Amino acid sequence: MGAFVLRRLLGAIPLLIGIATIIFFVLRLAPGDPTAFYFNPNVPPEVIEQLRRNMGLDQPLHIQYFRWLTSFMTGEFGYSFAQSRPVRDILMEALPNTLILTGSALVLVFLIGILIGVVQAVRQYSIFDSTSSIVSLFFYSMPSFWLALMLMLVFSLKAHQWGWPIALPPTGMTSVDYEFMNFGERVWDRISHLILPVGTLTLALAAGVARYTRGQMLEVVRQDYIRTARAKGLPERTVILKHALRNSMLPVITLLGLYIPFLFSGAVFVEVIFAWPGMGRIIVDAIFQRDYPLVMATSFVLAAMVVIGNLVADVLYAVADPRIRYD
Amino acid sequence: MRFGSSLNAMLVAALCVAPLACGPAGDGEGRGGTVVVGMRSDFGGFNPITSSSTYDVALVNYALFTPLISYDDNLQPQPYLAESWELQGDTGVVFRLRQDVRWHDGQPVTAHDVFFTFERAKDPASASLIGSSFLAEVESARVVDDHTIAFHFVRPHAQAIDNFYWSPAPRHLLQDVPPGDMRNAPFNRQPVGSGPFLFGSWRANEQLMLQRNPDFPEGLGGPAAADRVVFRIIPEASTMLTELFTGNIHVDIPVTPEQVRQIRQNGNTELFSYPGRTFHYIGWNNARPPFDDARVRRAMTLAINRAEIIEALLYGEGQPAAGPIPPWHPMYPGIDPLPHDPAEAGRLLEQAGWVDRNGDGFRQNAAGQRLAFTLMASDDALRRSVVEVVQAQLRQVGADVQIRIMEFQTMLQNHRGRDFDAVFTNWELDNFNVASAPMSLFHSRQADIEQSPNRSSVRNPRLDAAMERGMLATDRGEQQGAWRDFAMTLQQEQPFTFMFWLNELAATQTGIQGVEMDPRGELRTISNWTIRR
Repeated sequence: MGAFVLRRLLGAIPLLIGIATIIFFVLRLAPGDPTAFYFNPNVPPEVIEQLRRNMGLDQPLHIQYFRWLTSFMTGEFGYSFAQSRPVRDILMEALPNTLILTGSALVLVFLIGILIGVVQAVRQYSIFDSTSSIVSLFFYSMPSFWLALMLMLVFSLKAHQWGWPIALPPTGMTSVDYEFMNFGERVWDRISHLILPVGTLTLALAAGVARYTRGQMLEVVRQDYIRTARAKGLPERTVILKHALRNSMLPVITLLGLYIPFLFSGAVFVEVIFAWPGMGRIIVDAIFQRDYPLVMATSFVLAAMVVIGNLVADVLYAVADPRIRYD
Repeated sequence: MRFGSSLNAMLVAALCVAPLACGPAGDGEGRGGTVVVGMRSDFGGFNPITSSSTYDVALVNYALFTPLISYDDNLQPQPYLAESWELQGDTGVVFRLRQDVRWHDGQPVTAHDVFFTFERAKDPASASLIGSSFLAEVESARVVDDHTIAFHFVRPHAQAIDNFYWSPAPRHLLQDVPPGDMRNAPFNRQPVGSGPFLFGSWRANEQLMLQRNPDFPEGLGGPAAADRVVFRIIPEASTMLTELFTGNIHVDIPVTPEQVRQIRQNGNTELFSYPGRTFHYIGWNNARPPFDDARVRRAMTLAINRAEIIEALLYGEGQPAAGPIPPWHPMYPGIDPLPHDPAEAGRLLEQAGWVDRNGDGFRQNAAGQRLAFTLMASDDALRRSVVEVVQAQLRQVGADVQIRIMEFQTMLQNHRGRDFDAVFTNWELDNFNVASAPMSLFHSRQADIEQSPNRSSVRNPRLDAAMERGMLATDRGEQQGAWRDFAMTLQQEQPFTFMFWLNELAATQTGIQGVEMDPRGELRTISNWTIRR
């Protein structure tokens, strides 16, 4: 197994360099450049030329590419054009914020999704099965920005107007007077700010996990080894939770692998609507501003996460299903 | 027990989400309270030399630093950091600085700082907005003594004191930064200023906090009224309004026109609407048929019903424009925009040879070419709906308008490269010098410069002459006459169809005192903002 992981990781290096190279050149094919967006149109052309020289954009493209590649190899991500500060600082500031949001959402998504899926499969065609199917499909097909606005409308605006005991704060990570709070207040302040954005993501994503779990579970309970387990006289609880569940995790693991990059990319819509200072907004702003160094760094991180996500999924397959072996 | 007490804390905290309801919480707070301002996008950095976006510059001049001059209600320059000045004929000016203004680290603000800022701003390597917007007509500077500085002009010109609406940067903290690196200086994200507010803290895309500067001189209005002003970055307009209504923010900048009714109806909020510094226009490509003919351009203006667009799409929050000099400016020439007159538009098009020759409802020229062109705009809701209405209105006079909505940078590339027929876009005035927008947009010497702002390739000797006269006249009457000539020529030529001046819109909770907004900006009185109690 160790050799397998090592082989995969080494193989990923040329892949990642290739991806970064393609992104570098594709990015430069898009019209416009970074001097356009944050610079006021009244500024004369000479000044814009000077700015391009300061950014190194006056050099031929291949020179820019090799400069970028060599500094990137030494771990130097360069300066963001739009924010005028090191890309590293920007990532270090936004990544923890995003991990709090997407990390708590993913934990809930998989816990709730698997739980619902298992119960649905065990009680196939029961009232619970059909109601939860309808409800989860409803949330699954909702655009997340609409869901976000509705949750905010009810739990912040209306809750405030109707005088409910708790009106959730619609935006931000903490209240303005956070630094004056004691420990208990701080904990609640952080949680209350998380509820709406995490709730939106969970409602939208848990439904998918539930559907996959239900489908695979129904498949697995018809397998011979489940019949064997039941025939041994094992209690139904053990059969489902120990034997069937582990094996029906395969599609869920695939989903998990796919969601790992999402941990780092953040969720743009949710971040914009709830004013969450995470990676999603940074990536989108960077693209519109043609902030080349920032786009390169973020897309490289994401590409690496896709590779790692796939690898984690492959390793977990072997854990979940003893029939899978990597040699 | 543990559960009980934490639940209690939860409830207290939950009830206290609105700072207005509970008052600013406890320790560390003085009597002025915390004013929370919602902004739609983050700031870029605070360095008088390199800051260029509207709100960065507004915070530099109104909160963190002290500009040499300020403006009164009639937009006339008033002493500020410079307690007095003396014009040296038409060729220069000597400023005498106040001696009681200090950098936030305790050093005095001196003429050496002003000189340093001037020198860096003039250096092309710093790509400074002060250099390009204010100092083009200023040739050199000389420190007379620690609190006196003299400037020499390139040539005599109008509105000479307006060249000095900028704040000095601290020489002792920035002198080692090479001009080319000024934009990336770490200073810009934790500035040491000289204004009524001290820089507090800044978390990107989340919030910026400023604190009252207790040492700001009484002669300049004294320390800020609020203990703290916190700017929270909330990109979504509707979320921002929710925050305003639930009391989590006190000031909402900017509000969108469709939110105006909701804010007016809400008893706890107050709307600020005032004439702004941005005009929207349709730029015709004056070098490309059919817009190389002034009659066609004039016909287009006559055919567009601007009043209807303002009423329907801006909810009345704007006024028709006739040129780049705003109605609130002392040099406003007072010429009304052309009326909506489709019949006259039709006559002008006929004179220019555009007649419907085959009865298909569109006009053709003698060669049988249809009066058809592309109107381009960048992708946002307001622009999209305006160009759609314009398309329908021009259809009425037999013009076939194709709409092209593009991502901003793609649009800009076509616009700068002069690769367009017509474009709907906007221009924001970044100073009160009446000559700067006209000279950038319409002077023929800019017409051929790649990337220059005269993207419509306007070449008109009468416009050139009037603008130059207006820019160089030192006599106020002569200036006024020149800008009137300019406006009249503009009215005939219609190189652009000036659409409207957009009102600036903002909202506050009724409990906030001291907010005044006008063309000088939303943040103009920020040092007076406070919570009524």
